[in-house]
Amino acid sequence: MIKSIAHVNVYVLDQDKALDFYKNKLEFEVGDDMTIEGGFRWLTVYPKSQPQLQLVLAEPQEGPMFTKEAAIKIRSLIEEGAFGAGVFETDDCQQTYDELVAKGVEFIQPPTEQLYGVEAMGKDDSGNWFSLVQRGK
Amino acid sequence: MAANNRFKRLCSGRDFIADNYLETFSLTDAAKNSLMSPYHFSRAFKETYGETPNEFVIKLRIEKAKQLLITENFSVSEVCERVGYLSLGSFSSLFLKHVGLPPTSYRRTLWKLSSEPFRYPSQVIPACYAFHFLNKSVN
Repeated sequence: MIKSIAHVNVYVLDQDKALDFYKNKLEFEVGDDMTIEGGFRWLTVYPKSQPQLQLVLAEPQEGPMFTKEAAIKIRSLIEEGAFGAGVFETDDCQQTYDELVAKGVEFIQPPTEQLYGVEAMGKDDSGNWFSLVQRGK
Repeated sequence: MAANNRFKRLCSGRDFIADNYLETFSLTDAAKNSLMSPYHFSRAFKETYGETPNEFVIKLRIEKAKQLLITENFSVSEVCERVGYLSLGSFSSLFLKHVGLPPTSYRRTLWKLSSEPFRYPSQVIPACYAFHFLNKSVN
C-alpha cells in the first residue's frame, strides 16, 4: 500500500539557477545535490519542515527520455508557463508574498481571498507557476 | 502572522546550524538566532522539523561525509576531521548507524558500482530516473 509521496518532478531550464531560486528565495533546503555517473545531476529541494516530500529539479535534455526536438518543445513550454510546481502552503500569505516580492520573485496574482483561504500565484525562475496558499479556518 | 514569524525565527536558528555544522557550537548559539531559550528552541525545533537540533547536525555531517567519501580521495580519518569529529571511532559508529555500512565499506561499495571515478553510481537514485535519464536498465 502506498503510504506517501517521496519525490515530485519539476522541470527547470537551468539547475544552478533553479537551485538559487528555491534555496535562496523560497528558502527551501537542499535534499540531494550529486552528480551521477553519466553526468546526470540529481538535485532535490524541500521546504524546511517537510523533508519527506522533495521536489526533483531536473532539466529536460536530449537523452534516453527525450529526443532533441522533444526537449526543445518542453523547454519552450516551461518558458511559456505551461507547467506548475504545485501549491505551497504558508501561515501568512500576505507577509510571505511581501517577503518574496522583496527578493525579486515574480507574481502573477497578489494575495486574494478564495473559498479555501488566501492565495497568491507566482513563478519560479524557469517560468513554472506555483500557488502560495494560506488555508482558511 | 504570529505563527509565520515564529516559523521564521525558528528557521533562522536552523539556518545557523546549517551554516556552521562543521564547526563546534552550542545549542545556546543556535537558539540565540531564533531569539529563544535553548530549551524552547530545542522543543520547537523537534515539533516543527521532526528532529532535534543535534539530530539535524548529525544528519548534515553524515551527508557531507558520504559526499566526501565518494567524490574525493580523502582518507576516512580526513573525512572524519573535515565533518567535525575528533574521534574516528565515534564517527565510524555514527556513520554505520545512519548509513548501514561503515565508511570504508560505503565508499568501496559505491565506487565499485560506479563506472566513473568520484561519481555516484546510478543505483543511488530512484530507478525511474536512472532509466529515463541515463538509460540504465531496470533490474
